[in-house]
Amino acid sequence: MENKDKRVIVVGGGVAGMQTALLLRERGAEPIIVEREERLGGKLAGWHKLFPTFTPAGEVLEPLRGRVAEAGIEVRTGRTVEEVTPTGVVLNGGERLDGAATVVCSGFEVFNARIKEEYGYGIYDNVFTTVDIERMMNEGRVRTAQGNEPRRIAFLHCVGSRDEKVGAHHCSKVCCITGVKQAIEMKELFPTAEVYNFYMDIRMFGPGYEELYRKAQLDYRINFIRGRISEASQTIDGWVQIKAEDTLIGRPLRMSVDMLVLIVGMKGGASNGAFARSGGLTVAPNGFMQPRDAFFGNVASERDGIFYAGAVTAPKNIGECLNEGAAAAERVAAYLKL
Amino acid sequence: MYYDHFVIPFLVGTIFMFAVIVWKWGRWLWMLPGGDKRAIGRGIFSMATVRAVGEVVSECLLHRKIFRVNPLLGYMHMSLAFGWFLLIATGWIEAACVLGGGTPLHAHVFFRYFDPAVHTGWNPFSFVMDLLLLMVLSGVALAWFKRMRSRAMGMKRTTKHVLIDRVALSSLWCIFPLRLLSESLTAAAKHNGGFLTGSLGDLFAAWLSPDALAVCTETAWWLYSCALGIFFVAMPFSRYMHIFTEVPLIFLRRYRIRSEEQPKSFDNFQIQACSRCGICIDSCQLQRDLGIRNVQSVYFLRDRRYGRLTDEVADNCLMCGLCEARCPVGIDLNTLRLNSRQQRKDAPVLTRYDYLQGIDRSVGTGKVGYFAGCMTLLTPATLQSMQRIFEAAGEEVWWADRDGGTCCGRPLKLSGEVQAARKIMESNKALFAKHGITTLVTSCPICLKVFREDYDLQGIEVLHHTEYILRLVRAGRLAIDSSGEAFTYHDPCELGRGSGIYEPPRELIRMAGTLAEPEHNRREALCCGSSLANTVIDDGQQLRIGAAMTAELEQTGAQTIVTACPLCKKAIVRNVSVRVADISQVVAEHLRPVVGSRAAAAETGAAASRSARPA
Repeated sequence: MENKDKRVIVVGGGVAGMQTALLLRERGAEPIIVEREERLGGKLAGWHKLFPTFTPAGEVLEPLRGRVAEAGIEVRTGRTVEEVTPTGVVLNGGERLDGAATVVCSGFEVFNARIKEEYGYGIYDNVFTTVDIERMMNEGRVRTAQGNEPRRIAFLHCVGSRDEKVGAHHCSKVCCITGVKQAIEMKELFPTAEVYNFYMDIRMFGPGYEELYRKAQLDYRINFIRGRISEASQTIDGWVQIKAEDTLIGRPLRMSVDMLVLIVGMKGGASNGAFARSGGLTVAPNGFMQPRDAFFGNVASERDGIFYAGAVTAPKNIGECLNEGAAAAERVAAYLKL
Repeated sequence: MYYDHFVIPFLVGTIFMFAVIVWKWGRWLWMLPGGDKRAIGRGIFSMATVRAVGEVVSECLLHRKIFRVNPLLGYMHMSLAFGWFLLIATGWIEAACVLGGGTPLHAHVFFRYFDPAVHTGWNPFSFVMDLLLLMVLSGVALAWFKRMRSRAMGMKRTTKHVLIDRVALSSLWCIFPLRLLSESLTAAAKHNGGFLTGSLGDLFAAWLSPDALAVCTETAWWLYSCALGIFFVAMPFSRYMHIFTEVPLIFLRRYRIRSEEQPKSFDNFQIQACSRCGICIDSCQLQRDLGIRNVQSVYFLRDRRYGRLTDEVADNCLMCGLCEARCPVGIDLNTLRLNSRQQRKDAPVLTRYDYLQGIDRSVGTGKVGYFAGCMTLLTPATLQSMQRIFEAAGEEVWWADRDGGTCCGRPLKLSGEVQAARKIMESNKALFAKHGITTLVTSCPICLKVFREDYDLQGIEVLHHTEYILRLVRAGRLAIDSSGEAFTYHDPCELGRGSGIYEPPRELIRMAGTLAEPEHNRREALCCGSSLANTVIDDGQQLRIGAAMTAELEQTGAQTIVTACPLCKKAIVRNVSVRVADISQVVAEHLRPVVGSRAAAAETGAAASRSARPA
């Protein structure tokens, strides 16, 4: 078998892409990772700690990066993929990379919180997203726009998820536990601050998640209020006044907070449409790519020679993305008869 | 005298048709409310009547508005209507000349058959009548052609007709070819035809024996009379009722009679003046983008006329007004749609609105009131920009609802809950009166429309913020600097077609940068899909309508899409990758700092540095 017949194009160098490439390499394939950012890591690169264990993101990311480098896997960073086919991809600028199979690990997009203008992201000073909070934690300084330690923090769940108004019917799945994790982190940073989580449902799907949610309420005294925030406005002193309804007691409430954190959901990748057109694939109604089937074809596309791994097909957590990378490598190896 | 049995179908049909029409019109006129009857009394001896006559000629006969949609389509309608009219009128004159006054009706219609004279020379009447018949026949031919290739006549989709329409249509299409045949056969014996019927008659005379000719002639006249009879019997129950009904509609409209919130007798004139031409179908975005094909105005009016209107049809309309703007009969489609919603729906428990009593969260003391509206409160960038604009102009403002207020009432009205909407309107009206404002500015075209049309705000001028801002600029209280940015503008339905405001936002945009228009703009602008008026389609469908519309905006290559309605803004932002801004944001970002004034002091951040940039 020639080298070219073992070449596999991995689109995206996040956790799923790196894992796929590593395991393909173990099986004797020649993976090439194409990553649009300057460094490997995907969304995880912007994260501070991981739920539910509070493991630093670097403890997952760095070993992956290290092993990719060690294995001598070819990496093209700063390049975007415009077309995918079973026999290769076309990069920006028109360069073609040929391969014997393609694995699409291009992940998701973070919901643009500005679309929910009523929450004032980008308009009011003290409205943040979960992504901003992770960044501030990485920078080691979490402060309000005025430079103060926050005294009252509200988290709002389901921003851009399960929201027909923005055309997102799906549940992004990992944001509930992210909200709980960040609420606990805030409480640890600012023990005297009041922390509120506004939710419509709390979905604790993973091992240890429900326990953490319970701990947040019992040990950290975080207030969970069932009801979405309807709108926000800015007070003269730069606080954010929120209007919501506590649907458990059936009362409207108003509250001023000095930090409103929008727990943004996951959206299908922006290039999914282009991939679908060029590769003869399907974008599911939720905007993510449609895998071949929900049971035995999770990492297969509808087309032989194109595979998926990670959050490109649905919202997933890090562990699931790593598993899918392994599963995809297995399927690709079988396809290439390695 | 001048009688043959074949005239019976025609006579029966004619008498029946006029009896039904007189009965229908008589009943509708009788049932008009007193105010409308008085309006007729006032208008009948005024210039309105003269103007109505002019409009009848231009629309019922010449169909000028259809010519604007497509010349061929206009010619088709005109040749049938005006051609037939002239055929009747000229025929009448000819019969009166030859047979004398006082001859029975059928002798006019079947004149060629009863024509006593044996013509020898050229007869100008025959020539004109043949010319007119040719004109009508060309219309019939075009109608056939339209069945096959409607696109060539400017219509992608045509109306699906009910049985009675098909019967009437088929008989109508037979009438003129049969007339040609009958007159030609008669001309074969009598030589009283023109260039068309005469020449055909000569052919028949050459082919047929005199006996065969006699039988054929008799049969053809029978068939012609039957076609007329069937058409006239079917006519008052079919779409062709429009032929006569558009006439009183034009007169009544000239006398300022309108359809209203509650259904009333006048609605019948509007409903039955619909010719089901189907011009409303192509423009409908529900049809174009979602493939919904049974709710367009033509079907809504049809269903309402025959008493089979369903909620699904009445409620499934964006009320964007696109079809209303194109309707050649000028039917008040949105009002009719609204009052049929009201008819079937309005049974709220009105005590639920008792909490509105005395609610007042307003702040400020200015004579200029600002009503943001619910949707502007959900798009706070607009509210913030208005705040800056008011400050820059040094306007003292009474903020009606910045800290929460009551809905303007239009969403309830649009869904048909008129009584409930009234409750809300009264509460707001009392609030405005209490604070003694003289100007009411709103950022929401939905609120604007209801304030202007339903509130009856005496002594308070209602302005959309685009109009208000432009006024400030013209008065020299605001100055806008250009950044050269490329903008495009989306006309909100309620602001454009709904309130006739097209130019003020465009003027403001041109002060701030350049403006590129999308393919459909102004009166032809597309709806964003998020209309409050449609309670049937879901968010996914709204999104699809919006996507088709925003694609046109993006095609302009503009850096920023500007609109002037918070609801449109929220609809557009879901579909595009470029920036979407309300007109107030654009203005606030391009305000020229006025040195030394409090406005300059209030200017901060990005806007100040931006407007300081040379244009």
